Order: sequence, then C-alpha cells, then structure tokens
Amino acid sequence: MLRRTARRDRLVGLFIAGVVLVNPPILNLIGGTVFGWPALYVYLFAAWGLLIAGLAWVMRPGASTPDEPRGPP
Amino acid sequence: MSQQALIAVAIGYLFLLFVVAWLVEHGSKRFGKLTGSSLVYTLSLAVYCSSWTFNGGVGRAAQSGLDFLPIYLGPTLAFCLGPVLIRRILRVSKANHITSIADLIGARFGKSGGLAALVTLIAVIGLVPYIALQLKSISNGFAALGGVAGEGTAKPVFADEALWAAVILTVFAMLFGSRSIHPGEHHPGMVVAVALESILKLVSLTAIGLFVGYGLFHGFGDLFARAAAIPEVATIFAHSPDRYGFSWISMTLLAGLAAFCLPRQFQIMVVENVDERHFDKAIWQFPLYLLAINFFVLPIAIAGRMLLPAGTDPDNFVLSLPLGAGVPWLALIAFLGGVSAAASMVVVEATALSIMVCNDVVMPALLRVKSLGLAERTDLTRLLLWVRRLAMATVMGLGYLYVRFDSAQFALVSIGLVSFVAVAQFAPAMIGGLFWRGATKAGAITGISAGFAVWCYTLLLPTLSRSGMFAPGFVGDGPFGIALLRPYQFFGLTGLDPVTQSTFWSLLFNIGAFVGVSVLGAQQPVERAHAALFVDADNPGEAAQIWRRTALIPDLKSLVSRFLGRERAEAAFADWARGRGVDPATAVQADAATVLFYERLLASVIGAASAKVLVGAIVEEEPLGVEEVMRILDETSRIIVANRELEDKSRALEIATTELKRANARLTELDRLKDDFVATVNHELRTPLASIRAFSEILRDQPQLPNAERLEFLRIIVTESERLTRLINQLLDLSRIEATGALPSMVATTDLVAVIRESSASMQQVFAAHRVALRTEIGVEHAAVMGDHDRLVQVVINLLGNAVKFAPAETGLATLSLRRTGDQYEVAVSDNGPGISPADRQIVFERFRQLGDTLNAKPQGAGLGLAISQRIVAEHGSRIRIEDAEGGGALFRISLNAARAVAEPASGGS
Repeated sequence: MLRRTARRDRLVGLFIAGVVLVNPPILNLIGGTVFGWPALYVYLFAAWGLLIAGLAWVMRPGASTPDEPRGPP
Repeated sequence: MSQQALIAVAIGYLFLLFVVAWLVEHGSKRFGKLTGSSLVYTLSLAVYCSSWTFNGGVGRAAQSGLDFLPIYLGPTLAFCLGPVLIRRILRVSKANHITSIADLIGARFGKSGGLAALVTLIAVIGLVPYIALQLKSISNGFAALGGVAGEGTAKPVFADEALWAAVILTVFAMLFGSRSIHPGEHHPGMVVAVALESILKLVSLTAIGLFVGYGLFHGFGDLFARAAAIPEVATIFAHSPDRYGFSWISMTLLAGLAAFCLPRQFQIMVVENVDERHFDKAIWQFPLYLLAINFFVLPIAIAGRMLLPAGTDPDNFVLSLPLGAGVPWLALIAFLGGVSAAASMVVVEATALSIMVCNDVVMPALLRVKSLGLAERTDLTRLLLWVRRLAMATVMGLGYLYVRFDSAQFALVSIGLVSFVAVAQFAPAMIGGLFWRGATKAGAITGISAGFAVWCYTLLLPTLSRSGMFAPGFVGDGPFGIALLRPYQFFGLTGLDPVTQSTFWSLLFNIGAFVGVSVLGAQQPVERAHAALFVDADNPGEAAQIWRRTALIPDLKSLVSRFLGRERAEAAFADWARGRGVDPATAVQADAATVLFYERLLASVIGAASAKVLVGAIVEEEPLGVEEVMRILDETSRIIVANRELEDKSRALEIATTELKRANARLTELDRLKDDFVATVNHELRTPLASIRAFSEILRDQPQLPNAERLEFLRIIVTESERLTRLINQLLDLSRIEATGALPSMVATTDLVAVIRESSASMQQVFAAHRVALRTEIGVEHAAVMGDHDRLVQVVINLLGNAVKFAPAETGLATLSLRRTGDQYEVAVSDNGPGISPADRQIVFERFRQLGDTLNAKPQGAGLGLAISQRIVAEHGSRIRIEDAEGGGALFRISLNAARAVAEPASGGS
C-alpha cells in the first residue's frame, strides 16, 4: 500500500511542479536567446521533457506493483 | 496537381486504411494482435492531434509565437493525474459498460436519460465548430495544392472542397465506426487505423520540419538567427513580463479537461481500452508524442513568415513551404498528413457522437413510443446502425454548414477553442460525480445547463452574429444596447480575450450551480446509492445487491439477442454462467446479479439509459424505485436497531448476573452466619444450662455436702441463671432492633451528661469488683442530643463492661469522657488493655464474635454487646469507631450530632 500511495504522491507532486513551471508568471521570466535559439522555446520544451521523463520514471514497470515489498537497493 | 488527382490520392489513402482496419477485425491473426498492444493504444490516443495541431498549430505559432503549446501542456498535466483521475474513469466505465461520456455522466446520476441526452446535445452543438475546423483545413489543403484560392462562400456548393471533404469523411466514418454492432462498442479496426494515421502525422510533420531546417536553412541555429534579424519576429521572443497571462492559463486548463472530456478522447481512452495496464505506459508516452509532434511547429512557422509572401494563410504553411520550395512530393506527404489528422479526428468523433446520439437520445425516445412496438421487434441491430449513420451524417452536415456560413474566416485554433470550452462543461459533473458523494442529479443538470448557456451566449452567438446571421450590433453594443451584457465583455469584464472570459464565466456558473444545487438540495435515497457505487468504485460488483430484480433468463436472452445477435448473446451468457458455476442450458430464473449482467451487456451496445428502459420493461414487477431502496434501507436499519437492542439486553443481563452473583454470595455468607449464630446461641445457652443442671444434680444427689459448699453451688446456679436471663434479654433486644429498624423515642432530646453519669454510677461496683479504676471526664455542662436515654445508657454500659473485661486487674484504668467538637458531642471509652488490631476492628461488631482464644479462656459475655451497641448508635445516625488509645489499649469513640434547638444556648463547653 505504501508504494502505491508513494507513486500517487509523486505524480501529484509532478503535476504541481508542471503547473507552476509551464504557466505564467514563471513563464514570463524567460526571454532572449540561448546559443541563438529562443530561450522560451528551449525552456518550454526542456521543462516539458523533464516532466515526461519524471512521469516515465514514476510509472516505470516494477514500481507499480503495490503488493510487492521494496527490493534491496 | 489537379483537384481530381488529389481527391483520388486522398480516397486511395483512406481506403488503404480501411483495408487495414478490415484485416484487423476479420483477417489474419498478425493484424489482430495489434489491438492488444499498448503502443497502438498510445498512438490511437494521439487522435487528439487533429488538423488543429497539424495545420492550425503552425498558423497560431506564426501569428503569436509559443501560445500554441498550452493545448499540449494541458493534457500532459492532466495525465500526471492519470492514475488518480483517469484510472477511476476507466474502472467505473468498465464496470458499468459505459459507451460514451454522456453515458458515464447519465449513469453516475441515476442512469438519468435526461442528463445523458443533455450532455449529448451539448457535445453535438459544441463540437460542430471543431468538425468544421477539420473540413476547412482539408478544403484549404485542396485549394493550396490545387492552386485555387480558398474562398468557400464564393463558389457554388458542388464545387466546394469542404463539401467533398465532408461527404468523403462521412462515408469513411460510417465504414469505420458503424459497420456492425459490437458489445462494448469496441472498434479495433478503427483504433489500428487511427494509430497508423498518428504515425503518418508525426512522420510528415517531422519531415517538413527537418526539410525546413536543413533544406531551406543551414540548420535551426541559422533559422533562429535570421529570424532574430526581423523585428516583428524577434518581438515574439523578447523578454516581456506580461506577454502570457490568463489566456495561457485558461488554454492549459481547457486542454487538460479536453484530454478526457472530448467524446473522441473518451472513446479511444476509455471505451476502446482493452487492458488497463496499457494506460500506465500511455501516461508518459502520449505526452511524449505530443512533444515530438510539436517540436518543429515553431521553426516551420517562423520559416513560413520569412520565406512566404505576406498574403499566405498561416494555417497552410505546412503545405505552402514545400510547394514554394519546389518539392511537390513533400507537399503531398504534408497533405496526406493533414488528411490523416482530419480523418482520424472526424472518424472517431463522428463515431463517438453517433453512439451518444443513438444510445442516449434517439433509442430511449423511440423505445418510449409504445406505438412503434420496437420492444417487440426481433432484430434491432440494423435499426441501431442506421440511426448511427444518420447521426453521423447530421453531425457532418452541421459541420459543413458552419464552414460555409462562417464568413468571418477565423483561424483554425480559434474555432477549435470554442469547442474546447463547450466540452469543458462536462468536467465538473464528471469529476465531482466520481469523487464527491454529495453530487446530485439536479446539481449536475443545473451546472451543465448553466455552463452551456453561458458558452452559447459568450462564444457561439457572437460567432454566428459576426457571420451576419442575426443582430449585427449584438457583439459591439450588447443585446438591446445593454453594455453590461456584451458577450465579449460579460458583466463588464474587460481585458480578456473571448475564449478566456467565456472559460471563466461558463465554468464559474457551471461549478457554482453544480455545487450550490447539490449542497442545497436533498439527495434521494436512490441517488445516494448510485453515488456510493461510483464514488466507492473499488467493488462495482456489489451493485447487484442493491437492486432486487428477478426475471426469466429466456426473456433477457431474447431481448439482448435483438441488439447483439443470437450467437453473441448466447456466447456472452455462457461465459458469464460458467464464471458463476451455473449451467447455461438449464438456468431459467435470473437473479439480481444476472439481470445486472444482462443490463450491462445491453448497455454496452445501446447505453445505460436505454438498457435501463428495456430491462425495466421485463422486470417491471420490481422496478428500480424509491420504495425498493427504502425497503432495503429500512430492513438494514431495522436489523441495526434490533442488533443494538440485543446488545443492550445482553449488557443488562450481564449486570443482572453480576448482581445476582453478588446477592448469592451475600446469601451464602448470611447462611453461614446464621449457622454460626445458631451454633453459638446453642453453645451459649447450653453452657450455663449445663452448669446449672450439673450443680443442681450434685445438690440433689449428695445431701450430705457441707453447707459452705452447698451455698457456693447455689451461688453459681444463680449466677448462671442470671447470665442466661441476660443472654436471652440481649437476644430479644437484638431481634427487636433488627425487626423494627427504628427505636421508638427518637424524637425526644436527651442529655448526654446524664447518660454518662448514670452509666458510670451503675458500673462503679463492677469496676470495683475487678479492681479497675474508672475515670470520668465530662467537658460540658449540658449535652443535648436527639435520642433515647435508656438505649444510650445501655451502649455506654456495654462499652464500659467491655473495657473492664480487657483491662488488667490492679493496674487497669478505664476512661469515660464526653466533650464537644463543633456541632457534635463525642463520647469516648478507653482502656489500657491489649487493644484491638486494625484487622479486627470490624469483626468485633459481629454477633458472637469474641476476640482472643475462646477455647481456653472462658468467654466473658455472650458476644452480643458490641453488636447491639453498634445497632443502637447506627439508629442515632452515627457509628462506633475504634482507635488506639494513648496507653496502648482500645479507644471506642461515638460522635452524636448536637440537638439544634437546645444546643445553641447550651454551647458553653470547652
């Protein structure tokens, strides 16, 4: 049970982080260019990509079995 | 390229997809395996990316920069909550065989046909602009590739590309979505086709992006560097503190809600889902697809603005760029990508909407019309299919009309957002219904209606108005010139774009009405039961236990056969019966669970509302009614009450038992005491009697005894007789006190000083005989108490007699004292004998209890004195306490309340 709750909490955490990162007013802090690319374009796709990576990590197979005890590290 | 050739290519492509779909459903196993893959599920979810994404996204980016992205960030964020929110939708829908979002909302609120119909109506009206968007995009594509300027209204109807697009897409939607009736509304062929189209969309847009970056420019760095040189492009990326505001936030919110509220997303994500585990992977793969397909949108848009002539429609950049660069084959791929995007969206949306219209509006209505006799028809599958096809044609027709008469020529994204706001109205009732037990049907209907009304007023009507259909001044001046009601500045709210302010107002009214009506209204027992089924969806199988319905299996079977076909119905029931260990061939009586199984099976074809009507017709003896639920609730509460009563009774019984036990122990003790008493009395009476008799016999038998001896014997006889008399008197005293319980003269006052003097005087001789000194200390002049003089004298004499018994001869000293302490007078008798240990202080008051070695020493009394004294003092409202005297002996202390009337003037004591 602990694992499933932990996964849910992580996802909610990701959701909140995502809402903050890809919305104004944080969004409006970014401007100009990075290595010639528009900084906002780079920032949005980087934040988005990180969010997806986080999702994939939380949802990775093996992490989802609720009844299985946590294995050795 | 000629238009005819383009149409042929498009039709050929769609036909190819259809063949794949047909093979999946009927053909080889290799294709059939595709349906069970999570990748296909994820790719089919990408039906979310329609022409809006493919063409409109680039158009939006070209005009305002990055704000095409919230439409894809929203679903990503919604999928973050997937395991909490969407999984629950999946579970509930699977358990109840939900076929559409209208079905889900209707089923949650008491299988309400009205609510499902309302949702369907809103979905159809709300999605018309969205479908129009697809048609417009395809017709734009035809126009761009065919070299004709795309102005829809200027052309006759039959030369209008949008019409052809509508007709072709309708036909394919019918082919994919309404070829046959499946239980559960699964369309595996359609799903695989949509997945293939999603691959083509992604490949096509990526190819164009790479072509733009490396074919038209020297890499993306070069592209962005050259763009920065153009001021109007550069401003898009300049640092600006308030570039994106509420508009961005509201688009994110709308897209997040649309990810599960759009009928086509619901169809693919929930209805077509074959394995819940697929969703676990889709949670991150679907957002990844969205990211990938949007990656090159901005570069393409910027390139379009730099390279193409100013008049080019930004929504066509995807086609115009390769065409302008002289690469027609790439333009064709882009065109097919656009067709894929539009076709997949239209096919799935039309299918979903047709199921909703058929199951939640048309069929319930037709089934209620008794004169049609539909309930008696043997085969209704054809009717169902035709109703659906008609619904598809109607929806597409409305879409076409919207394109044709919407002369304002909005950008694709603006049109799509209008639909997003409409479907967002389902979210409060849906989320609230799944997580909030108190949500009521009235609340859901009011909320959805209010939100829809606000949407109509603030988005749909202005669109129609600007197209010149009515009231030209409606948008600018408000209805009848009331500025406060201007649809784009509703209630005077300015500074927001139309979509944002419509989102705000419609969701505000929606949620407000939904929550308000739910909270204020009373919930019916039936509703409460339904809420429990959906909110606590962990064990949906319990539903059967709530409704008590029975029917005959053949009736149910023939009913379901009409909609599913005989073979499918038989097979489904055989499966079910095997699962429950019932022989399908012999079972006749269907219990509640079986009825529910049939209802759900039926619901998977024609929706929950229609299934309820039909099954209700068969089991009409016990319809799902308030009385039924009340009866069950009643029974339950009766059992609870009975249970509680039983508990009370057993508790009372327990208490009675312990009381009885205690009483029994007391009785046993009393019995033992009585035996002791009888034995002791026996002994006490016998002892003097025996000695009297013995000495009398000696006197009789030996007349020659000397005189002195004779006198001595006679004295003994007299003493023993006196002792016997005393004993009998005391016994009589005791029994009298115990029998009456009260002494006769308790109302009179008596003077304790007199009592003390009298008793000490009468004991003077006894003390002298025992050679024990008696000291009397009287500290007051008068000591009036309420009580009986003679009894109190008896008590004091008893205590003095006790003292003289235990005080040693010669050195013995007894003290009798009387003094006042507060409101009380205290009589104390002490001696310097051996004293009484604390353990024995209670025992001495029992009858016939004598301390010390009673076997050897001759008892100096009957053992009744202290018992009688204690009784007498108890009658006077006090008790005798035993303490240690100063010299080591025993101290008996009695406190008596001073009599008030006499005590006040007499309080002169020390």
